[in-house]
Amino acid sequence: MSAFLAQLRREVFSLFVTPSIYVLLGVWYFLNGLLFLYLLDYAPAVQADLRLLPQYFFGSGLLVWLLLPAFPPLITLRLLAEDYRLGTLEPLLSAPISDFAVVLAKYLGACIFFLLFWGGILLLFLLLDLHGATLDWPRVLCAFLGALLASFLFLATGLWASSWGGNLVLAAGGGAVLNYLLLFLPALMEQSPGFLGELFSAASIPKMLDQGFSAGLLDSYSLAFFLVLSCFFIFLTWLKLVSRRWVP
Amino acid sequence: MIVADRLSKNFGSLTALTDVSFQVEPGEVLGFLGPNGAGKSTTLRILSGFLPPSSGKASIGDFDLLEDSLSARRLTGYLPEAFAAPPELRVEEYLRYRGRLRGLRAPQLRTRLEAVVGQLNLGPRLRQTFGTLSKGFRQRVGLADALLATPKALLLDEPFGGLDPLQRKEFRDLIRDLAKDGMAILFSSHVLPEVEELANRVLILHQGIARAVGTPAELSGHLNKCVGLRIRIQSSSRTFEEGLCALFPNISLETVSDTEWLLHDLEEASQKKLLAWLANRSEQVLEFSLVQPRLEDLFKSMVEGS
Repeated sequence: MSAFLAQLRREVFSLFVTPSIYVLLGVWYFLNGLLFLYLLDYAPAVQADLRLLPQYFFGSGLLVWLLLPAFPPLITLRLLAEDYRLGTLEPLLSAPISDFAVVLAKYLGACIFFLLFWGGILLLFLLLDLHGATLDWPRVLCAFLGALLASFLFLATGLWASSWGGNLVLAAGGGAVLNYLLLFLPALMEQSPGFLGELFSAASIPKMLDQGFSAGLLDSYSLAFFLVLSCFFIFLTWLKLVSRRWVP
Repeated sequence: MIVADRLSKNFGSLTALTDVSFQVEPGEVLGFLGPNGAGKSTTLRILSGFLPPSSGKASIGDFDLLEDSLSARRLTGYLPEAFAAPPELRVEEYLRYRGRLRGLRAPQLRTRLEAVVGQLNLGPRLRQTFGTLSKGFRQRVGLADALLATPKALLLDEPFGGLDPLQRKEFRDLIRDLAKDGMAILFSSHVLPEVEELANRVLILHQGIARAVGTPAELSGHLNKCVGLRIRIQSSSRTFEEGLCALFPNISLETVSDTEWLLHDLEEASQKKLLAWLANRSEQVLEFSLVQPRLEDLFKSMVEGS
């Protein structure tokens, strides 16, 4: 356990001292801040009903669709691909820590760091509340949870892409492509006839975020969907790492 | 302490190791000698728990590396050949992190950190980031990392690579001291004098096969038939060399200079014959000595022979 905590601490620390990640964070806050101002000043629907606000930020907003799949892989590319590239994986994996603990620490480190991304947006809601706006907080928090779960899934796919080797472009690009596929493929395919259509409809992340979490509905299916899929990609990452131990 | 029992390793169709067996006892330094690609790093990676063997067994202490890898790794300090640490980390930060990873708690970590920093003269570099260190200091950080948790077994893959002569001497002295303290040490190198000077025993590995194991003296003993004789006279003499050739027409004669010759593969009877011949010559003999075979000769004969 102490080895796991040491690794987790190291991962969080390494993300906090990476300048390029603050550039991402700055872009994220800037664009979301602009959207926030725009919605409050120029969107009559939102002005009339502030309960719609979480939906734009955590559900079906343009930024969620465009930025969310791309940003997590830019963070996770450091996690394993950087280790491959620098040659730091061998000292790490020959230390007394299990491969699974390494993978989990790296993943949780990225998740903890990603809280900063969404935490800042949540702060905007808090500021709004402090200025006298009446917000539906259970709905805001539910939408926030949905966005977090989607982000954690995208971090898991990014981590898996990062385990493919020492190519940082492949790690970031591969993760982003996977995430866009996860996001858009079900939306494109859900109109297919029969079982395929039902399957893609059930896997539609925008639908889960927009009509579920952002609407204040905490659905056990959606919770399980994100958790199981995240675990699946964490498992694939572990499998990639542990495959070096397989005896040919 | 370190046991390799019929270790083999294949990478697809490539065989990196074949049935390599050896043991390293506490307090012993085993030198792993072999050219590049001989299988030294693969063996060390297996013993460090990073790679599994394709067949055979490896253990550190009483812990099998396949069945209880974590316990075995807790007893092991490992310095990989191309040691690297995250470039943005300061040396102190890195060593603290590695100490925690190895289960050291705060007071113990502080004590051990002070000890290894002192042993490796890393004090002035503690605040420096790893990325700005020279190769020599990077190796020191790697060794400090390996020594941090007071391992019982130390695995060093080409530890002298990139070090200047002074640093090499410091490293050698340190390794000797660690062995005196009871640590079992296995190090690989392709620098023969280093292995000869430092190791209690040497294992010569070539093309993944252990060609010979023994003390440097034992291994040199394998070459007795190659013992040579050195003869040096005061002033050059053409007739002297002609006389030698005539005396031993079937023996290899190596001319070192106008006044010095080496005779190879000379049997004891021939040596007596040579002495008697020299006694009847007018030239003043300055040196008449046996040339002891060196580990290098054995290594060459094995590598070239295969």
